[in-house]
Amino acid sequence: MSGSQDTTASRPGPGGPVYPQPLPSLGAVLWIAWFSVREMARRRRLVSLGLINLLPVMVVLAVRIWFPDQGITAQLQLTSLTHDTFIPFLIPIVALAVGVSAIGEQVEEGTIVYTWTRPIRRRAIYLGRLAAAQTVATVLLSVSLILCFLVMVSAGLSVITWDFLKLYIQTFMIIAVGAFAYAALFAAMGTFFKKPVLPAILFAFGWENLVANIPARVQELSLQFHLRNLVERPQAVPEDLPGLLGAILSTAFQREPVPPLQSVAVLVAVTAIAVVVGVWLLRNKEIEK
Amino acid sequence: MMMGAGVGSDQARITADRVGKWFGEVIAVNNCTLSVGSGVVGLLGANGAGKSTLFKMLAGLIEPSHGEVRVFGGKLRDQVGWFRRVGFCPESDALPDWMTGREFLSLMLRLMGYDKAEVTRRVDYWLDRFELKDAANRRCGGYSKGMRQKLKLAQALAHDPDVVFLDEPLNGMDPVSRKQSIDLVRELGRAGRTVLVSSHILPEVESMTSQIILIDRGKVLAEGSVAEIRDKIPEHPTTVALESPDPRALAAFLIGREHVAGVQVDGTGKVVVRTDHAVMFYRALPRWILDNQLAVDEILTLDDSLEAVFQYLTER
Repeated sequence: MSGSQDTTASRPGPGGPVYPQPLPSLGAVLWIAWFSVREMARRRRLVSLGLINLLPVMVVLAVRIWFPDQGITAQLQLTSLTHDTFIPFLIPIVALAVGVSAIGEQVEEGTIVYTWTRPIRRRAIYLGRLAAAQTVATVLLSVSLILCFLVMVSAGLSVITWDFLKLYIQTFMIIAVGAFAYAALFAAMGTFFKKPVLPAILFAFGWENLVANIPARVQELSLQFHLRNLVERPQAVPEDLPGLLGAILSTAFQREPVPPLQSVAVLVAVTAIAVVVGVWLLRNKEIEK
Repeated sequence: MMMGAGVGSDQARITADRVGKWFGEVIAVNNCTLSVGSGVVGLLGANGAGKSTLFKMLAGLIEPSHGEVRVFGGKLRDQVGWFRRVGFCPESDALPDWMTGREFLSLMLRLMGYDKAEVTRRVDYWLDRFELKDAANRRCGGYSKGMRQKLKLAQALAHDPDVVFLDEPLNGMDPVSRKQSIDLVRELGRAGRTVLVSSHILPEVESMTSQIILIDRGKVLAEGSVAEIRDKIPEHPTTVALESPDPRALAAFLIGREHVAGVQVDGTGKVVVRTDHAVMFYRALPRWILDNQLAVDEILTLDDSLEAVFQYLTER
């Protein structure tokens, strides 16, 4: 084909430049990501996800109202929430909800045909949709964390210590890394499976919870393990019987820590591999509708 | 199977060489070879004949199980830059329902590489052309079937493509929109575009073009103009009715002439001629009339319609 910007007077249409230069890949990714974020933000499931994300806020609020003088520090609350709520439950569920639908839903609905017939590579379409899913998941989880922070500091500004701020930023980063890794995995699953929700649930709440709690090195085969490995463990000393039992159980399933850098490397590698596999799957995908 | 040299005029922009597609054990398209130049070409076949699968293969949306498809001499799936020159209107009713019509068209044009001003200009033009301006800021989810169809057409044409694939484009349209869309398709053909239109409704295709590709049970049965194809069905000679004040004399003259397979005078006094080569017969007829001073008031071809051709070829 000849160069761009040719004009032909006899063509039906408004006239003007006919064939502009195609968007650069990054430009296409950004455009697709921007529209996809807007699409995801308008979906009804975002409201349900928002409500689920209020769970840690409720916990912090309950501690603030009913146990103000029990020695449960803001740091302890934050590590416990990250350890027991965000990592095993909230990150996977939010990433699952936005991840599996990022590509799979468009293929299933047949709307992907419109972007497939534009002069952009399928990998740009995939990366744009995935970036949108990861952004939406991270923002949702971050809002929850910010609300927790606001409830915690409502007890007094003395809560804000250097250690607390360090932990808080660390938690943000762990949540973002977790959301990116899980969303990349679920997006690839959504591209591969025709009905991806069940396999994704089995992975998130079956495999992940099971394997992450198997002692010894098997637990390293879960993302949950590596995310938890990056969090400082809550160091509360149990004084009552249930607390003591909990501590014993926790010790029984004690994870064997690995260097944090190793966990970061595993999470980044899983994300990268999931992205490559997802791009390859979409490249070879055929539309049925 | 009848295979012509190709349909449309000029150089072939779309070619398929022994293309086939299997879905498991089911053959959707079988060994199709065709080439399409500029102009409007109808891809005609009953529901389930394999039109949409062939369309998607031609448009690079699905990979053939065997054979090769080329558009502008290359494979669209590998050279996505060619999509600047290709428009595709799918059969499926799916649209991103959360977007407004204006947003959808704008995104489609943005992804083509147009700047903001050009996007706005083109969006305004096509919304106006398809009378969607009033609904432009409403979500597609609230559009009627006809409006959705028009928006799908608009996104396929808004970037001014050289090759346009329209899969059942008139589905669900009201008669006025149908007429406007048919006119638009013909206009595109006259402007030198390659427009491949699929339909299972014969009059629809007939109103847009006489160049057709007939497909049945996954196979291309024939391609070319309706008249050309009609002439290549020897088991069903074309029937021509001639009205004359002296039908018996006319019938006597025509018996035994070249390309005349049979002559009879029907109950209304018309001379009904069966010809094995309508084009040659029509070429010879004026000469016969003038040279022999035959009286002929009217000439009617009784079964060279697309419907007749389709029936004969598919034996339905």
